[in-house]
Amino acid sequence: MEGEKAVYRGLLKRPVVKLLIRKVVFLFITYFVFITIIFALPRLVPGNPLAEMLANILQTMQATPELVRAVERRLMEEFGLHKPWHEQYIEFLGRMLRGDLGTSYSLYPRKVSELVFTYLPWTLGLLIPATLVSWIAGNTLGALAGYRRGGRFDNALLPVSLILSQTPYYWLAMILLYTFSVKLRLFPLGGAYPSHVVPSFTLEFIAGYLYHYTLPFLSIVLAAAGGWAIGMRVLVIYELRSDYVDFADSLGLSDRKLLQYVFKNSVLPQVTGLALNLGTILGGSLITELVFSYPGTGYLVFRALTRLDYPMIQGTFAILFLTLILANFLVDLVYMVIDPRIRTGYIGE
Amino acid sequence: MPSRILLEIFKIKKFTISLAIILLLLFIGLVGPSIYPTDPFEAVFRPEDPPSSKNPLGTDSYGRDVLAQLLHGIRMSLYIGFTASLIALAIGVAIGSIAGVKGGLTDEVLMSVTNVVLALPSILLMLLIAAYFKYRDPMLVSIIIGVTSWPWVARAVRAQLLSLRAREFVHFSRMAGYSDFRIAVEDLLPNMAAYIFMALVLLMSGAMMAEAGLSMIGVGITRGASLGIMLYWAQMLEAVRRGLWWWFVPPGSVLVALSASLLMISTALDEYFSPRLKGR
Amino acid sequence: MTLLMAENIKAYYFTRMGTIRAVDGVSLGVDKGMVLGVIGESGCGKSTFINTLMMNIRSPLRFIEGRVELDGLVISEMSREQLKKDIWGKLVALVPQSALNALMPTMKIRDFIVDAVRQHQDLPKEEIVGMARRRFEELNLPSDTLNLYPHELSGGMRQRAVIAIATLLNPKLLLADEVTSALDVSTQKQVLNLLADLRKRRIIDSVVYVSHDIAVVRQVADKMAVMYAGKVVEVAPTEDMIAKPLHPYTTALVNSVLTLEPEVRKRELSYLPGEPPSLINPPRGCRFHPRCSFAKEKCETEEPPLVEVSEKRLVSCHLF
Repeated sequence: MEGEKAVYRGLLKRPVVKLLIRKVVFLFITYFVFITIIFALPRLVPGNPLAEMLANILQTMQATPELVRAVERRLMEEFGLHKPWHEQYIEFLGRMLRGDLGTSYSLYPRKVSELVFTYLPWTLGLLIPATLVSWIAGNTLGALAGYRRGGRFDNALLPVSLILSQTPYYWLAMILLYTFSVKLRLFPLGGAYPSHVVPSFTLEFIAGYLYHYTLPFLSIVLAAAGGWAIGMRVLVIYELRSDYVDFADSLGLSDRKLLQYVFKNSVLPQVTGLALNLGTILGGSLITELVFSYPGTGYLVFRALTRLDYPMIQGTFAILFLTLILANFLVDLVYMVIDPRIRTGYIGE
Repeated sequence: MPSRILLEIFKIKKFTISLAIILLLLFIGLVGPSIYPTDPFEAVFRPEDPPSSKNPLGTDSYGRDVLAQLLHGIRMSLYIGFTASLIALAIGVAIGSIAGVKGGLTDEVLMSVTNVVLALPSILLMLLIAAYFKYRDPMLVSIIIGVTSWPWVARAVRAQLLSLRAREFVHFSRMAGYSDFRIAVEDLLPNMAAYIFMALVLLMSGAMMAEAGLSMIGVGITRGASLGIMLYWAQMLEAVRRGLWWWFVPPGSVLVALSASLLMISTALDEYFSPRLKGR
Repeated sequence: MTLLMAENIKAYYFTRMGTIRAVDGVSLGVDKGMVLGVIGESGCGKSTFINTLMMNIRSPLRFIEGRVELDGLVISEMSREQLKKDIWGKLVALVPQSALNALMPTMKIRDFIVDAVRQHQDLPKEEIVGMARRRFEELNLPSDTLNLYPHELSGGMRQRAVIAIATLLNPKLLLADEVTSALDVSTQKQVLNLLADLRKRRIIDSVVYVSHDIAVVRQVADKMAVMYAGKVVEVAPTEDMIAKPLHPYTTALVNSVLTLEPEVRKRELSYLPGEPPSLINPPRGCRFHPRCSFAKEKCETEEPPLVEVSEKRLVSCHLF
């Protein structure tokens, strides 16, 4: 019993465990702050958009009086606008914890959580592979350019990645769609799969899916890889001038080996960079989905924002942010595994 | 900044070229609408006409002149980019320098707040805030972008201050009895001028991108033209699928040119001021 | 027996600001079993010099002319690949100025050693680790150091580990570049003892020890060479030079040690009037003449050659 406790205490003292706990607490706090912002915004903005929304719905909904009353009741209940704000807040937090994100009114009576979970897989299926591929490709190209700095490859890659890194995904998407689908007719004009097949694990569906997948995937990969390449190039240039490279060089280590070292150490900050940029990548790819009429969360967000469907806005953003937090946590875990300095508590946050 | 440094900076080719591009676009944005006085919002032309001598960049689905929209759009995007980046810079520099100069508990609290805001995805936050305003004028959009993009500036300014603080001249000022605040304003910030300028440049390119993103998803400015609004209408009215390239190619190209030039300027300055990147 | 012979070597940096003549015609020999101390202010080219001695030349530095012979091999005519394969780490090793950051930060010291040895000898991993362990024990370094990452070691320990790693393959010549300047006095002593130990155990034959600190060099060197503005101005056995410096610059250096407190000494000859000269446009004639109180007309126009003035004593000054 005592021994077990000691083991437990020992575990808690290990730097990596401490760091992990700190990280989880931090992410939890951030989520809490975000949820609070979601709650507070409509109540802080002058003119109380929620109340206005309710009034709007009642005026514009073309439905039977019973339905209007049902919607009104549901919304009043969910937003609890007649109660004091602290009660509203506690109720709101409770609902968020239970995963009850409320009812969409532009797609009444569907639940927001149900809607988000139908659309989210499409987004993740596009976003995760594209992010990983662009990260790997960008870093590899950037490392090679930095290693042969000023060489022909570097001189060709640098301006291209510079421009790509400043190209919004969605604009590149427009250009690619115009060139390859409209002009050259090589790819479909939009959607995630051919309209005549039903999503299933058939060869036909998968082939159709990949066919529709190519351009959205390429838009994100190309535009994102530019940024990674530029970052990696600079890191490698810095790293190549570090003392340990000089020492290893003077011991006769081959250039190949030195490049391996430099790559290993330069890639570490890029892992952190990935965690930091997940939000931007997500934002960019949501808009890219719109360009391709891809049935992902981007469509949901757009619909919610343009129709002022506040329950859906709140719910979608809460889930998107939760997804980001989980991804962030995963990236941090990977970082801890590959950087020994973190494991041994040498560098903290 | 001593003029010798300025002179040397102007010798860096990519700096000068990028600056020229920006100044050109700035000039176009400021003067263009008066030289080319066509009203960007008046639907008086034949709709969806390709570029012609009458409408150099064609017309949109409502029969409005795209070039006129582009000129007004450049002006608007630059305005929002500049205003938003000033707001973010002001918040970031204030928080960063208070944290860096005061140290101790103040530093810890401010940096915790900064880290939390940094962890919130700024683009989602912007969308969320913008969604609750029915009318969004350029100032409001600038404020929304500004208040969500400062955290990295605060962190960077603080880090710079801490490294500057360790240098001798701060020590002398302190011995001479200057207050922390005076040291920050009179000694430290001028030493960071180049650095702060770089931050402004990066913020500005980020803010123009953010404006376009907000507009694309439907929560940009509610009146007027901006590069983002042009792209929004091109997207809404299926310009891509209907082959109306003159509607979305120009605003996007200008946006990329502006943003890439700003990035190049900051890279060139960075290389100039941090000798590790220069060929020693 | 001469182990290393450098003849009239010149190595310049080509930069946008101009050509920096960091090593400008230096000839020096190192005998087997000898410790040569090279003394000079920072920026006099001594660090470039020591790298040139092993032909570690990297852009923007260029080897202009001269000949370097190491253990009978003319290494100044070898390609970089050949040097890396057969010479560096095997015949000559360098302990760099910033040894504190010299170790690959994200690798255990053991694994780095395996990589380093494998470039020269194809041995199984366990054997290399065993070899390293025995060597660390022989040198009284804790052998569990091998299982740690560099950041887990103290500064002094890291410095000693770097030296042990550099000498693992028993190079005949060790080049030490300011290896003690970042350390406190007691750690300095440990490092100097380690160098002595390496020679006593015949792991290495000779050492070239570069430093700005004449007091430290005096403790280790048999012979000293004084560098000024890319040139050697005086060579002499250590005690002879301390007892009777000939060149006015050497005299100033030696006096700084004898007369001033150790704390002041570290401020690199601040009492000597004038700045160390720019290596882009070095003064004509004798490069020391603008700061020299004995300067004559001849010193401003004619460069003094390095001549033997008495047994084992070389000086480059018109006074002699």
